[in-house]
Amino acid sequence: KNLKCTTHNLHKMICTWDVSSRRRHGQTDFCYTTNDLPPLVCFKTKEKRVEIPVPESSSTVTITTNSISGTAFATKEFEIHKKDVLFVPVTPRILSLTPDFSTSTINLKWSDNGSVFPYGLDAFWQIQILRKETMEKVTEVTYYSKLTHEDVVLSWNWTSDMPLECTSHYAKIRCYINITQFAGLKDWSNWSPVEVLPGKDADPSGSGVFPLDTVVAVGSDVTFCCVHEEDENIINMSYGSKPYPMIQLSSRSYAIRVLNANASDASGTNVVCRLKNGMMDGTVLFVGYAPDIPQNLSCETPNFLTIKCTWKPGRPSGLYGKRRTKYSLFERMSGKNVSCEVNEMNRERVCGFPVLADQKTYDFILGVSNPIGQAESSLLVDITQRVHPKTPEKLTVSESNSTSIHLRWFINGSFAEIRLLCQIEISNGHSEQKLYNVSMPGGKFSTYTVQLNALHPYTKYQFKVRCSAADHFWRWSDWSRVEEHTTSEA
Amino acid sequence: MAGADSPSAALRRRDLCARGIRLVGKMRSDVIDLLDTYMERQGLDASANVAAVEGVPPAAVERWDEQTGTQRLLENLAAYRAFRALLAQMLEEQREQLGEADTALGRALAAVLLQVSAFAYHLEELLRLESRSPPSEEGDGPPPQPRLSLFEQKLRGLGVLRELAQWALRSARDLRQLAKPGPGTGSAPSLAESP
Repeated sequence: KNLKCTTHNLHKMICTWDVSSRRRHGQTDFCYTTNDLPPLVCFKTKEKRVEIPVPESSSTVTITTNSISGTAFATKEFEIHKKDVLFVPVTPRILSLTPDFSTSTINLKWSDNGSVFPYGLDAFWQIQILRKETMEKVTEVTYYSKLTHEDVVLSWNWTSDMPLECTSHYAKIRCYINITQFAGLKDWSNWSPVEVLPGKDADPSGSGVFPLDTVVAVGSDVTFCCVHEEDENIINMSYGSKPYPMIQLSSRSYAIRVLNANASDASGTNVVCRLKNGMMDGTVLFVGYAPDIPQNLSCETPNFLTIKCTWKPGRPSGLYGKRRTKYSLFERMSGKNVSCEVNEMNRERVCGFPVLADQKTYDFILGVSNPIGQAESSLLVDITQRVHPKTPEKLTVSESNSTSIHLRWFINGSFAEIRLLCQIEISNGHSEQKLYNVSMPGGKFSTYTVQLNALHPYTKYQFKVRCSAADHFWRWSDWSRVEEHTTSEA
Repeated sequence: MAGADSPSAALRRRDLCARGIRLVGKMRSDVIDLLDTYMERQGLDASANVAAVEGVPPAAVERWDEQTGTQRLLENLAAYRAFRALLAQMLEEQREQLGEADTALGRALAAVLLQVSAFAYHLEELLRLESRSPPSEEGDGPPPQPRLSLFEQKLRGLGVLRELAQWALRSARDLRQLAKPGPGTGSAPSLAESP
């Protein structure tokens, strides 16, 4: 009785049955015909289980149970219709269970055994993650894939809400294949054997507080655990100066859960695990902000040798030292990348980029990143339109006559490709102030000269000069130092 | 061992000891201040229990009275050379971890490091006074430290500063011992014979 046939691959099926009589019995004679067509196939078996082909429509089965001496004492005939056959996929097997401790992520790989099935079938994989010594279910997900008549290795990632070191994690998987063209019954496969990812509490010498020295965003929920050695005990666990209720994970591992973490100090927030022997173990958590998108990115050249970019950083990240926010300037056309030295404490942000030969237009991307996140700003700029010369130096006055002088000054930079516009402020004791604009070809680390006429004889003058680009004004340089001169008598 | 001191050598030693005592006294008060700043900035509290710091000879010593002057100086020198290396490492770690965020702590650490170096040099002077060349520094100093976690670094730093504060006390006592004049000769005992 209870003849049941199950197939794993739609071709062969395994039939099992029960024998109701309590008499001891010997071998069984098993005979079947497929689709009611000869020949009749018969064989003997000691087990109450045989493998025979899956019929197209139906099969007739005769089972004769013999006594120990070989005389038949019970015979039963069954009609197995295809629709009564149960299709159960082969139990899947986990190929690998790989931890990434830095991100508390588990990667699970398995084979879909697709080669056994026709192309294009829908397959559903149920994956369970279990935890702790009690193997509590932490999560169960259904993963979908399409079979391709080949054996494909599938991969799935899961991020734990606690460090993987805290306690052992386990995984198992089963599958369901939706074979629409199979008229029989369908069911989930058996669960795969459980694969384990041992925690530090499974390692006899394992101990420590986890996660170790990690960085999270403000507002994060973080689970910490303290794993102690066999003969030790934990007194309490604190985050910052505040003790937290402990959650037991195993006999050697306890956890605390910090919700909505606030920004930490520069040296991070200590998570301390106090042990009975008086010692302490701990870790440090750095809680900060991802970098804001840099605002007001602006680039100019003071001398056609370097390009100076400035920007507003936005909210401070709260991260320092090797976790600080780092900046890099990438120029798309040349592919050149420059990392910027930035002092986190100083509000102004500056980064220098070399002027490249024969390149006037620069397509900058300012990349900003820290352990929590990254952002970028971009700027397309023609540096001939972003000239902000350095302060004119070595301003000197030489007299031609009592009403005419020559002004000379030097500008550090290479302006040969542009014309300069310079502005001279002339003032004398009588609070008379004049501005005099003059444009001239730019030079390479040059001295520039201007003649000023129509001055008053025997008069004390103050001169100062500033310059900018003549054709595409961007910004004036700072004023030079003031140079005084008294014209001679007429 | 050299005969009884000449009056000038004794005077020189007493002067060096006196200056050493002042130097180590200043260092101790700076270390105490630094300890408070350090604990506050590193989020540690005074109850923090720290294991002995590897590489630092403990200030506590048995049968202190029976030590010779030379032993005192050599032990002091070994300790302060070790502190110099440990403080330099703390400074490096502080820069790596905090960068520009806590220059005040960095400056305080650097100041104590300077004083430790100065005192080590002072001890070498005292040894040279006894025509005893200070042991070379190769292979000296704490063994290379295993890569510690940040919390372990914080605790080790606390341990270093606590031990340094203890050593400053001991050094002052050692120097006072060395500065004591010898029995009946009006001069301090030469280092080898001091009780």
